[in-house]
Amino acid sequence: MKVRIAGMGWVTPLGRSVDEVWNRLLGGDEASAQTISREGRTETYQAFLVPTEVLKDLPAHPRLRRASAISRFAAAAGLDAIAQANSMNFEIEIDRLALVFAVSNGGVVYTKRFYHGIVESGAQSASPLLFPETVFNAPASHLAAILGVNGASYTIVGDGAVGILGIKMASDLLDTGTVDYCLVVAAEEADWLLCDAYHKWRLVKSSPPVELFSNPPGGTILSEGAGAVLLGREGMVKIDSIEPGGNFSHQRNSTEIVNRILFELRNEGACVVASANGTFVDLAESSAIRRQLPHSIVYSPKPAFGESVGASALWQVIIAAQALAKRQLPPMLHAADATGLRFPGAANGTTSSAIVSSCGLNQQAAGLRLSI
Amino acid sequence: MLTFNALNKTSAKSRVAVVAAGIVSPLGFGLGETLISLRNAADCVSPVTRFDVSKCRCKTAAQIPDNRLLAKRPNGRKNARLHRASHLMIVALAELCESDSEFKPEITIIGTTSGGMSFGEDYYRALQQHLNLRHSPEWVANYPPQKPVLDAQTAFGISAPCFIIANACASGTNAIGRAFECIRSGKYERVLTGGYDALSELVFVGFDSLQAATPEKCRPFDRDRTGMVLGEGAAVLGLENFESANRRSAKILGEIIGYGISTDNHHLTQPDPSGSGPRRAMEQALQVAACAPEQVDYINAHGTATPFNDAAEGKAISELFDRVPVSSTKSMIGHSLGAAGAIEAVACLLALQSQFLPPNINFRAPDSDLALNVVANESREEKIDIVLSNSFGFGGTNASVLIQKIAA
Repeated sequence: MKVRIAGMGWVTPLGRSVDEVWNRLLGGDEASAQTISREGRTETYQAFLVPTEVLKDLPAHPRLRRASAISRFAAAAGLDAIAQANSMNFEIEIDRLALVFAVSNGGVVYTKRFYHGIVESGAQSASPLLFPETVFNAPASHLAAILGVNGASYTIVGDGAVGILGIKMASDLLDTGTVDYCLVVAAEEADWLLCDAYHKWRLVKSSPPVELFSNPPGGTILSEGAGAVLLGREGMVKIDSIEPGGNFSHQRNSTEIVNRILFELRNEGACVVASANGTFVDLAESSAIRRQLPHSIVYSPKPAFGESVGASALWQVIIAAQALAKRQLPPMLHAADATGLRFPGAANGTTSSAIVSSCGLNQQAAGLRLSI
Repeated sequence: MLTFNALNKTSAKSRVAVVAAGIVSPLGFGLGETLISLRNAADCVSPVTRFDVSKCRCKTAAQIPDNRLLAKRPNGRKNARLHRASHLMIVALAELCESDSEFKPEITIIGTTSGGMSFGEDYYRALQQHLNLRHSPEWVANYPPQKPVLDAQTAFGISAPCFIIANACASGTNAIGRAFECIRSGKYERVLTGGYDALSELVFVGFDSLQAATPEKCRPFDRDRTGMVLGEGAAVLGLENFESANRRSAKILGEIIGYGISTDNHHLTQPDPSGSGPRRAMEQALQVAACAPEQVDYINAHGTATPFNDAAEGKAISELFDRVPVSSTKSMIGHSLGAAGAIEAVACLLALQSQFLPPNINFRAPDSDLALNVVANESREEKIDIVLSNSFGFGGTNASVLIQKIAA
């Protein structure tokens, strides 16, 4: 496998563009959570949302006119990744470009709005304009239309690990030799309904901070945005190994699968960009990291900008790639002291490989290792 | 014009055998019932009973009877709280595992469009109408599309990583195609693939709102076609490297020899009227297989019976092929969305094994704009060696797979 990262794009509650978000993470910034309420409901939730101004320069493409937030996030991140690759003089022929879109919850805002009409007023009031935007692959379709991709385009769905599975699929597509580049985009949009659902699932807490590795876990805060990595055969950061992992039938079994993934990916001196988010995931990862990579520096970005579910693994990949390129990691925020894990400090910046561990909230786990 | 200069390249690739299959659809439970229903041109469409359709234009769908579906409890497991889609996947996977207990996939690639949608509906309705939300954590946890696949895998002790493809109505064929590519590349020996979807209110009303669903009979490629009816089901296929399958003397049901995928950027829900998207997918499948169009003996068309789809697909088929027999089994079982491509691939395997052409029922009059050789209303005995199965979907996604008969 010879797959490298040729370009990246990032849309987060901390802003848009890899450099901007990276610098804010290095500075120890945390996104500001916003309160989300719903008419007729007393429950309110907090979530990290993407500032609207960061999408102002999106192209005025007809496909984006009525598109949902998730489609706009995906388009922005995907276009930024292509632009970054172009700026480095990589020659991208759109006919030789495949698209993989990874998502978990999908277009929940339009789906809710569409079904709301059915519940409140009956089937005859259902909007034919909204329905097509509820389909999981709508964002991929819009991005393909904007870029002019007319070959392979796949939307894959899963939990937080789906971004890694997307990269695995992209790597396999590149191995077929039918494409030279594969753009992997992952996106998610936050909404009251999603917060309420995850709250009832006992995974979301009422307000920040997201505190990591505490026992029992206190819960996470949802966020939204997108990440994109353009994979090809040239680029500074190499993907050494991808472990598509497996599935755990109960949360208590997640440690075993994360442990197996890290065993496969372990590399002396590698840092770990973890998916720890204030839920059971923290316990699984801390246990597995202590066993397989006891000397590694561990970082999780979730306290800074929350749990973006389907987009989260790609955000971690971008952080891992930046850490290798810039030879430093951002400071760890809100992590418990007595974990036995090593967190980033001033002198911990010389790693040449980085492991991304992604344990999802709904039975899937995967990981990969990058090097420079 | 097609060229076949890919022939030399393909010779070095691994051949891909279908070693096991399982299916549940309105045609029946299992390959045996499915074969009988296909041969008998069964019309499986009936009034919708699962939710209120009184305010919809369309009031019919092809449904799987609850009493049979929920009675199936593989391994004695209590499945009462599983999503209907999980039941579908479990029934289909049970048949596959019973027919080839040694098939252990390295990865799983399954297509779907709506996952556990009806649990999402239950949750929203309960929330909105201030009903009892006691079960809401279960609804939320079982809503994601990977859950039915993981439930089924767990029931049969399979732990392969799951890739869930959600390319709208092409998902099932895309999943089979990706599985084919994975084995053909030599990176994998065994891949479990297929597709599933259960009928849900949101999706039903959605197609009704687009006026893509018909209040009449589903008549693919007919001059007077007025739209689709929805269906549901699941089908799974065990794909394996030929050498590996032969080593363990596995029964080989058929061979996947080609796969094509294209994206049509014309519109989110409507195909380019030129048929260029479907045509590119079919051409690519032929090229990968190093197969000339005249070698194809039958096409199981996407054939939703919507005016736009059938016009674009019919144009592409008639331009690329010369009077090849065509039918859409959706005329019998409706459109099962993410399951459709997998169910239709199984129908193609059965047709190859039993040497017949599945029918396109409810066909009354040919569309003069489409020069197609439709297998009208009754199945037909025919010697067939290579068949093509098409699936197209929202988002402009198009997929085609070529399946070949294995000599006895």
